Amino acid sequence: MSLLSELFSDLFARQDNALARIDPRTKLIVALSILAAVIYSPTPVFPLAIVIACVAVTVAIGLPCRLIALRLIAPMGIAGVLLVLQSMFSGSTPLWKFPAFGFDLTFTREGWHTGCLMAARVVGGVSVMLLLSSVTPAHRVFLALRSLGISKTWVEIAMLMYRYTFVLLDLTADVTEAQRVRLGYSNLRRGISSAGVVGGVVVLRAIDQAVRTNEAMRVRGYKGEIPLGLLPPLAWRDAWIITGSAFVLSGILISLEVLFR
Amino acid sequence: MNIKKSIFIFLLMPLALPSTAQAMHISEGILPTQWALLWYAVAIPFVAWGLRDLRIKSAREPFFKPMVGLIGAAVFVISCMPIPVPMAGSCSHPCGTGMASILIGPAMTVLVSSIALLLQALFLSHGGLTTLGGNIVSMGIVGSLAGWSIFRLTRRLGLPAWGSAFLAGMLSDWATYAATSLELASALHGTGSMPKLLTAIGISFLPTQLPLGIFEGIVTAGVYCFIAARRPSLLECLGVERKRCACELCECEPKTGGVQ
Repeated sequence: MSLLSELFSDLFARQDNALARIDPRTKLIVALSILAAVIYSPTPVFPLAIVIACVAVTVAIGLPCRLIALRLIAPMGIAGVLLVLQSMFSGSTPLWKFPAFGFDLTFTREGWHTGCLMAARVVGGVSVMLLLSSVTPAHRVFLALRSLGISKTWVEIAMLMYRYTFVLLDLTADVTEAQRVRLGYSNLRRGISSAGVVGGVVVLRAIDQAVRTNEAMRVRGYKGEIPLGLLPPLAWRDAWIITGSAFVLSGILISLEVLFR
Repeated sequence: MNIKKSIFIFLLMPLALPSTAQAMHISEGILPTQWALLWYAVAIPFVAWGLRDLRIKSAREPFFKPMVGLIGAAVFVISCMPIPVPMAGSCSHPCGTGMASILIGPAMTVLVSSIALLLQALFLSHGGLTTLGGNIVSMGIVGSLAGWSIFRLTRRLGLPAWGSAFLAGMLSDWATYAATSLELASALHGTGSMPKLLTAIGISFLPTQLPLGIFEGIVTAGVYCFIAARRPSLLECLGVERKRCACELCECEPKTGGVQ
């Protein structure tokens, strides 16, 4: 399995654990509430606590540390850039001043604080998504979205896209490998030309696959709408989880508001 | 001093890779609530437009739905392909919206982008749920409308198809980054000056996005030329080129095999 397929796959979300057994709608609602709390938090402490909690749970349920690191490295880079940009471009009270490349660079106190808060929010938000996708298979997320009122057509296309992304990723890996063996990426010019060929092959194969998929679905009675399974009504336990997390998050936010604003 | 700072940031940004390589998606938690909601409000009518378009077309021809799903998957895969960025000494990846808008039109591209962005936010940590609206606006709406309109306009002006595809790919990429810069600057300038921050963000994107846009244009032209050479009827069926055959989309015979 290629790295991208591995990252994109919901294989680990199919494992059986306490979080995976919770209704996907409940998980989605709770994840959105935590995201809102992370964004509203006036201090980096809460988002960072969420990062630690989410990463710890993700490790505990068996997601390889390598995948966790790969998922978090880009957002952490973005958080670092945000921190530098905010420190240099907002605020007025000098915090650090140092010469670099012949310029005097000033990091401001206000900018540093804002940058830290924003960086913590970025990593906190991404950690919540990491945990959600680690305990909920993709088709369950789509069913939850459908139950929460997202258009049926949108969900159908999302399911088709997710399913066939893996088929096309495998094809891309095969074609790229074949090109590489034939020195298709030996220099920049050949590399770009080869990338164009891969793209073209992928699009053509997608159309061929669409024809085959359409035929297969028609044989099974497809008349323009893919039947989506229904999720059972929310149980009392889910209602308690949603209410409980709403109370806990509100309490934490009010406390942080009083303490830090 | 701000110009000096901008120059410094310009020099610094390539060092911040891969963060800039993923920068076409605004990350989770960056946009304040009011801005996140505003961009959702802007994006939703366009997604509804795509859904309406798809419903009308798939009511006429049920094949259209799987085809859009599969082309969406293809464009998503292409958008994950690494493209070398020599100035940054690293790799980045194309947006793919320019190509998608040429093939399936802007309405459907917005729809497909919204799904691709959600999948990326959930499974790849690129973008996020709170910033989904903003990302749909920059990548889905601005990117696809720019790509589609440039392709159509340049074709009408008599430019060869490869040239139009190149311009569509390149300018849709740059338009996406311009929109992303605007979204970031408008949300993050705080008490500072928005134009200054917009300039700084724009400058920080330059080292990777100038060459990346050009390479995306080349790849888009390459994909287009490949399809035009191998399966010209497909472009006619999709309405990209003037129809010369009588076949309908659903009756296009798939050709097995291909280049490997």
